[in-house]
Amino acid sequence: MLNITRGAALLVALVLALGAAAAEKKEFRYRVAPGASVSVVNDFGPVILRPSSGGQVIVAATSHSNKIEVDCSRNGNRVDVRTRVLQKGTPEETRVDYDVQVPPDASIILHTATGPVKVQSLGGDLNIDADTARIELSDLSNGHVRVRSVSGPVVLANLRNSYVEVNSVSGAVTLNQVAGKMVSVSTTAAPIQYSGDFGGGGAYSLSSHSGNIDVALPATASVDITARTVNGSVQNDFPFRPLAHPTFADTQGRSFAGTSNSGASSVRLRTFSGTIRVKKQ
Amino acid sequence: MTCAEFQRVLPYIIETGGNADEEQHLRDCQICSDLVADLKYIADQAKLLVPMEEPSPRVWEGIRGSLEREGLVKPARARGRLLGFQHWGPLPWVASLAALALILFGVFLFQRAQVEPSTISEPAGSASVSQPAVSLQTVSIDRDDDQLLQQMTTSRPAMMSNFRDNLKQVNAAIADARQAVQQNPDDSEARESLIRAYQQKAMLYEMATRSLQ
Repeated sequence: MLNITRGAALLVALVLALGAAAAEKKEFRYRVAPGASVSVVNDFGPVILRPSSGGQVIVAATSHSNKIEVDCSRNGNRVDVRTRVLQKGTPEETRVDYDVQVPPDASIILHTATGPVKVQSLGGDLNIDADTARIELSDLSNGHVRVRSVSGPVVLANLRNSYVEVNSVSGAVTLNQVAGKMVSVSTTAAPIQYSGDFGGGGAYSLSSHSGNIDVALPATASVDITARTVNGSVQNDFPFRPLAHPTFADTQGRSFAGTSNSGASSVRLRTFSGTIRVKKQ
Repeated sequence: MTCAEFQRVLPYIIETGGNADEEQHLRDCQICSDLVADLKYIADQAKLLVPMEEPSPRVWEGIRGSLEREGLVKPARARGRLLGFQHWGPLPWVASLAALALILFGVFLFQRAQVEPSTISEPAGSASVSQPAVSLQTVSIDRDDDQLLQQMTTSRPAMMSNFRDNLKQVNAAIADARQAVQQNPDDSEARESLIRAYQQKAMLYEMATRSLQ
């Protein structure tokens, strides 16, 4: 009887050990040519994207159960990374943590549900779809950046010379020192915060249905700005000069327009019912 | 031809025109004629939102591919124009596709509203421009939304309730903006808000149906 009990205990310990061993780290390395594209599809788990050196794509994946497998492959100059669910499990069981290093000019496509996502110091095109993931992009330059979020917050910091498009239903969008030829942010019910000089002689459009838009810009900003709301309100504490060629009449509390310095960039702020606030940094 | 039959084929004929029966129905039926007029209005407004900087061709190929995979776009029949509906002729293809996506969406929403009237509550009688926002509590999800969420119970159950909440948000935004446009058809900001709200709903549908497996 004692031997049976010991045997059962050993068997249980063995099964537990095997289960624990399923939480493992794998690494994949690929050498790619300039202009490579990398796609990552991972439902649950953080994804970090950062620059590599030497033209390599290096994928470090840490899984937490044997209910998933990490599928990595290279086809030509394209690397695909995908988490495959082998058995249904909880988000924690099907979670994989990715740390992906890519050449700075690589184009990235990333699909995730919960993330979070962190991308830094890259210069290629970036295309991110996320459901509830917190998305942080920093120190990017020159690429096309497109982010679509359902409800996760989106934070962009120090983006230069980029084409930026952010669409979020209810995730707050924060832009800090984001400048480029075209910057477009649209939300349904989430606030938008912009802090910076709207540099680069670009076209900036921040719009929200019911979220508030808060803009803080320095006295050195060179912008033509218009702000309008259908049912919300507009507040301006920045000393703009009147526009030389206004396209609409200012309505107290509902719209205003103005220019600062040489008006190099155009800035368009629109809400349906949210409040628009503009102030000097 | 009944209204249901006409509206079923409307997404496929709206750009290229219908056959003799379809065009006769449009002449005879006020409801369907009003619907086509509304969709033309949406398409006209969509043209105004063509971005200053054209997105990468990859973006539009992706949209076109999604519409084709969903069966929302089929090879156009070589016929004449649907009564009074102007072909988008010289416009760039990108504007046409954006407008088409919005039209198709508008058709589905209208069809659902005909079958199951919305539970959106109307504000008590003020004629002023400023109307109280539609309450989130009174906005429902429509049949298409429900079907989408049903699919998510098997494909993406962990995300279903998040998508349900956000569908309600965009439906409330659409209802708000639609109300404002109806009260002030000349209000360009209200029209723009309506189109943005439809675009957000289209985005939600696309994100809900993408496979992560």
